[in-house]
Amino acid sequence: MTIKRNLKQYTNGKKVLKASRKIHKWLMLFIGIQFVIWSVTGTYMVFFDIDYIHGDSLVVNHQDKINPDDIGYSLSTLFSDYPNADNIRLSTFLQQTVYRFVVNTESGPVQFLLDAGSGKKLSPITESKAIEAAHYYSKLGNVKSVVLITDNPPFELNPRVLPAWRINFDDFGAPSLYFSQSTGELVGKRHTFWRLFDWMFRFHVMEYKDGGDIGNWLLFVVTFFAILGCVSGLIMTYFLLVRPTKKLATSHKKISRDVI
Amino acid sequence: MKWIRIFHKWASIVVGIQFLLWLLSGIYFNLMDTTKAKGRIYQASINYKRPIVDDRLVEPSIVLLKNQPSVAIELIQILGEPFYMLTHEKALYPHLKNKYTLVDAYTAKGFLINEQVAAEIAKISYNGPGEIFNIRLHNSTIPDFPKQQNPTWEIYFDDVIDTSVFIEASSGRIIGHSDGHKRLADIFFMLHFMDYSNNGSFNNIQNMFFAIAALWLTLSGFIWTIHIGLKGNYKIRH
Repeated sequence: MTIKRNLKQYTNGKKVLKASRKIHKWLMLFIGIQFVIWSVTGTYMVFFDIDYIHGDSLVVNHQDKINPDDIGYSLSTLFSDYPNADNIRLSTFLQQTVYRFVVNTESGPVQFLLDAGSGKKLSPITESKAIEAAHYYSKLGNVKSVVLITDNPPFELNPRVLPAWRINFDDFGAPSLYFSQSTGELVGKRHTFWRLFDWMFRFHVMEYKDGGDIGNWLLFVVTFFAILGCVSGLIMTYFLLVRPTKKLATSHKKISRDVI
Repeated sequence: MKWIRIFHKWASIVVGIQFLLWLLSGIYFNLMDTTKAKGRIYQASINYKRPIVDDRLVEPSIVLLKNQPSVAIELIQILGEPFYMLTHEKALYPHLKNKYTLVDAYTAKGFLINEQVAAEIAKISYNGPGEIFNIRLHNSTIPDFPKQQNPTWEIYFDDVIDTSVFIEASSGRIIGHSDGHKRLADIFFMLHFMDYSNNGSFNNIQNMFFAIAALWLTLSGFIWTIHIGLKGNYKIRH
């Protein structure tokens, strides 16, 4: 009985191993490349600190305090000049105390930047102001080029922040800072490592169109077969480690010898 | 080729199980309902439309003089009433350590988001069938939003999916909702990112180690596959 059972287990084991090898070999011919892409892109994303990717180290977060005496233009005057002003905030822009607010018009929201001393409108900000801001709010080197983006933003910029000045620096990682033309606020900080990360992520989730939709069908199909490929590989690893077929084979031989 | 095979086999021993976990959690992300995974089933969109144009508003300059030096002062609304939010220390992101003071915009008096106020804000943000049954203040990190570094009120609702609403204590900002669906998705994120200490990050040592092992596994496998192909061993037998 034992011999028979062992023999049966042995042949079953052999069958499973053989089938796994075949499945693994053939599946990987078709989806093996995606396994390489997953591990290369995954390794990139894991090794580069996400705060660095976000460009946090590109900018200087000044804590310039508002001097209350600088506010010559009161909030009540602002309300009489701009009755529909909303989302009003006072802060500093290049160490100057400023009001920022939005006025909702029929054609959409319009952002404003005012000097809090005089109430003078500072928006839209000029190219030289944008460059000045880029130097003040970062420690990056020389400015390489400046572009005003009013439509068709690059993939690295949120279209909602338009119009914006793009300041490209001649510095490590080809950094670009984006400043809103309407508020002077820093609205984007990008460098090569972010741009690469974005590509890596798209390849990782197999989303080659715009956006990062991880619910796409291509990813589902490939991952489904990848699970089969992985399980068949793990079965072989199991046989490699535990060697049940080998054990059974030896015991079977031993038993056979004893019987004979 | 012998070494490639040895590499592949050893790498499979090291990273095989984790690779399966990556794939299983990956297919879960692919199939999951993102609204559910973000805990937003009972999250109402809050739309304050009433513009504040009022003679009773205290001037910001007076508020600034009465308080600690500020980087910014903003006219906001909490439960439909106007407040000034003073930022004394501004971090790059709201979830990082920020220092705020809230001031009643009519009286210029300081205002704290206490248990009752937090509960009221939570009720507006919640559109599910449950009622509040518990409120708790977290001074350290919260498992549901591990990146949040400022003290946070957690308002528990007694619905079937255990919704909690998180309100930042210093600003009244709604950090987000969490529930059973989000917590389940978070388990899969933890497995995928190997984030066992729940830092909300995938940049950790164990993940780096296994990523390298995965590279060995896939690159050796890739070479092996090419080798099989070149030897002409991919044949369909009839």
